Amino acid sequence: MSKDSQMRAAINQKLIEMGERERLKELLRAKLVECGWKDQLKAHCKDVIREKGLEHVTVEDLVTEVTPKGRGRVQTRNKQTKQHNSALMSRILGC
Amino acid sequence: MKMEDMPLSGPDNTKLESLVHDIYSELVEDACLGLCFEVHRAVKQGYFFLDETDQESMKEFEIVDQPGVDIFGQVYNQWKNKECECPNCKRLIAASRFAPHLEKCLGMGRNSSRIANRRLASNNNMSKSESDQEDNDDLNDNDWSYGAEKKAKKRKSDKNQNSPRRSKSMKHKNGELGTIVTSEPYKYNFNTGISYETLGPDEVRSLLTTQCGVISEHTKKMCTRSQRCPQHTDEQRRAVRVFLLGPSAPTLPDADPVVENDGFDIPDGQTLMSRLQWEDSSDISPTDSASSKASTNPSDSRRPKKKKRPSLGLNSGSGGGGGGGSSSLTGGSSSSQSNISLSTKKRGLSSLHRLFRASTMT
Repeated sequence: MSKDSQMRAAINQKLIEMGERERLKELLRAKLVECGWKDQLKAHCKDVIREKGLEHVTVEDLVTEVTPKGRGRVQTRNKQTKQHNSALMSRILGC
Repeated sequence: MKMEDMPLSGPDNTKLESLVHDIYSELVEDACLGLCFEVHRAVKQGYFFLDETDQESMKEFEIVDQPGVDIFGQVYNQWKNKECECPNCKRLIAASRFAPHLEKCLGMGRNSSRIANRRLASNNNMSKSESDQEDNDDLNDNDWSYGAEKKAKKRKSDKNQNSPRRSKSMKHKNGELGTIVTSEPYKYNFNTGISYETLGPDEVRSLLTTQCGVISEHTKKMCTRSQRCPQHTDEQRRAVRVFLLGPSAPTLPDADPVVENDGFDIPDGQTLMSRLQWEDSSDISPTDSASSKASTNPSDSRRPKKKKRPSLGLNSGSGGGGGGGSSSLTGGSSSSQSNISLSTKKRGLSSLHRLFRASTMT
């Protein structure tokens, strides 16, 4: 699978060079805020913090708690971004 | 590393899709991480729970979710059916109509002053013809219903009929005649007549040069039609002029322009012209009344008459012999015809013509 990872790295690099990656990131963020994903995750964070106590919360805790939930929530919603990505990908790869 | 070297065909679409998915999930992870950092910083800085500090006020302003009530807990049309008593007129007015009613009732506010001004203006105009408008005024003061607006609109249209503004539109139609009639709306009545008593001698003179001017027996008003108006004869017109301006003003309009001929042309006419110049403004034939001040315009209307002249030369020649004043002018006329401009010729002709008629009539 090194070929794949190679390819992935190459694509990433290309994306960054084109500036598309940044644009995609901003687009994704905006969409997440719009659909309320961010607020929900924030509420979840609050719960976690209340559980753990205010003083001892670390970034790692938050990340491990929140990320999978976040990812799960996102997948069903953001098909548009995905399609946009695939179009972009085909453009980059020239096929 | 060139992407073009690795062509991806059909079965590699799934690979493409998985690639896309991978990149996408990377982006999502980035977003999550960003959120976590943000929250963590807020916690450590102490501003994360800042909006939840006051539990009491939170309960107070909680979002309401009941039927018939908005999210603040207020009822929608609570004040719709309430009535208030007006402090001015002591009437019970519906709440939604209270503010406009107060405006009219107290006589303050932009709208009420506008209506009052309009009413005053139309009342001034209508006071001559109608006298019972005042009864409606009292009613209209407190009445803000639709009827008052209808009346006001109607009166406003009446007011505009006789205002000076109307004369501006009529100027283009009637030329000078129109301006004379409508430029002084306060002196003239709405009928087609003028009271000669109110006019000064100069105005009378200028009027008489363009209009018929015959004073009607019934209304004691001057006729405002043209000098060829069929209702009155030239005799009447002359009589009026004598009456109004004194016997020394023979400013009669021309009645028979056909009788003119070359015999009355003024050849060496410069001295004669100057003598006749004083009749300049009044030497206008009836057809030229619309453009009396323009000296060149009469030439156009006179041209057709010129053609008739040679055929009637005999008549006027014999007539010219009879007239004392005109006999001296019959000689050597046609040679110097070209020297004189058409306008001066015409003026001379009309005055001569007048003399001729005067002589024939005596």
